Amino acid sequence: MADDSSASYIHLVQHLIEKCLIFHMSKEECMEALSKYANIKPVITSTVWNELEKENKVFFEQYSQSQGKEDRMSEAETIEMIQKMISDSSKDSAD
Amino acid sequence: MLAVSPLRTTTTTKDEREGDMANFPIDNDDFPDFSSGNLLDSIDFDDLFVGIQDGDVLPDLEMDPEILAEFSAVSGGEESSDMNTSSSESIRKVEVEESQRKAEEEDKISGSSSGLNSGVQGEEIASKRDEFAVTNTSTVAKDGGDRGRKSSTSTAQAKNSQGKRKVKVDWTPELHRRFVQAVEQLGVDKAVPSRILELMGIDCLTRHNIASHLQKYRSHRKHMLAREAEAASWSQRRQMYGTMAATAGGGGGGKREMSPWLAPTMGFPPITPMHHPYRPLHVWGHPTMDQSLMHIWPKHLAHSPSPPPTAAPPAWAATPPHPPPPDPSFWHPHHQRVPNALTPGTPCFPPPLAPVRFAPPPVPGIPPHHAMYKVDTGIGVPTGQPGLQAPNFDFHPSKESIDAAIGDVLSKPWLPLPLGLKPPALDSVLVELQLQGIPKIPPT
Repeated sequence: MADDSSASYIHLVQHLIEKCLIFHMSKEECMEALSKYANIKPVITSTVWNELEKENKVFFEQYSQSQGKEDRMSEAETIEMIQKMISDSSKDSAD
Repeated sequence: MLAVSPLRTTTTTKDEREGDMANFPIDNDDFPDFSSGNLLDSIDFDDLFVGIQDGDVLPDLEMDPEILAEFSAVSGGEESSDMNTSSSESIRKVEVEESQRKAEEEDKISGSSSGLNSGVQGEEIASKRDEFAVTNTSTVAKDGGDRGRKSSTSTAQAKNSQGKRKVKVDWTPELHRRFVQAVEQLGVDKAVPSRILELMGIDCLTRHNIASHLQKYRSHRKHMLAREAEAASWSQRRQMYGTMAATAGGGGGGKREMSPWLAPTMGFPPITPMHHPYRPLHVWGHPTMDQSLMHIWPKHLAHSPSPPPTAAPPAWAATPPHPPPPDPSFWHPHHQRVPNALTPGTPCFPPPLAPVRFAPPPVPGIPPHHAMYKVDTGIGVPTGQPGLQAPNFDFHPSKESIDAAIGDVLSKPWLPLPLGLKPPALDSVLVELQLQGIPKIPPT
């Protein structure tokens, strides 16, 4: 069904984006990487990224903060951020 | 016997059965070996239970008065062959019953106390014979148990001459949870169906239902424990590899094996039991395997510009394979869906992420959150490694690393999401894409 393949495609893109997030890439870098290595149109990457951002506002806020911070957070900050992400996620999921 | 033919010799029966019915796989472990049983050995009881559901079928409480009377009359001897004979005749095949019973009795003895119905013994014998599960005499129960051997049950019985009907019990997560609670309260090994029933206090369950469910539960637990053990040993091994890698890396010079960097697969919470598509081991309410994989990766574990770490991949990529569904049956319905997209929050199967400089890999059963918080600042900073700067080194991930990571996702889409972010609504994304001019994805 078209829906299924769409759903799994989007899921794939999300997965790839998450990988990029681990690399602490920016949205643009992500679009480029996915296009280059996975043949995913940048517009698709961008859309999914935006949607992810809407659903995970807190995470992305912190993410961009850390992006801003002289390019890298210290480990402690990273850990802290991730911890927060997790607790936020639980809160979200608990809903 | 069951369904159609009245008294027949077992041999005949068997043949006929085989001819007529589908074959069901027998779970040999669960059934006693009827060594004494002449024919019984050869009988494939699965055949008997065509269309019979699992043992969670309520015994049919409506018994013919005559049969009841017979049973009552016989009461007493649990294993009285006489009883068998007399009652069986009206109910089942005599010979089969008899031999079965005898064989069973021998087998059952081990597990049960006398007062118990086949319910308990029926652990082996799957109280599928629910039609008698009701409180009849133990003999009666035993009849039930005898028949019930295979997981399939009473449905067939239901169709038999007595016209008994079995009500199927639906083991919902809630029901199961109560069951598990009761069992744990009693102690798994000591849990007796009648007590469990009492503890659960649910009217529509019979001892047989409980007994068969208990049997499955125990068998499942064994699997889980075995897996846990395996996972634990995997974890240890990873740790060892990690340590080795670190040492090697430290000593080796130039190459930076930033293994921890790889694949921070975080099994994101919530790890609520039961409802997850990917929850192979959790069905039985034991929060063991589910949360074992929660590692945190400080993001900036050195990615050196050098080629992707080689030590890591083995540690990581060689993740113990998702356990193939040990039994593709009722217990692991979810396994079928494992290869599909995993939703965020999916618990990761234990492991193994290159533990290298991490706190000991999460032990199964330990809530992942805690494991995560244990990451200490020493993580990922292989001090001693030449060329490795403190956290402020240049971090841009190398192209190779990115390519490798992406390639990995593309080739293994079933892997859990590394961060487990909440996925956006499908519709919303599709609409948005359409607005951007992409009518259909994946684009052709």
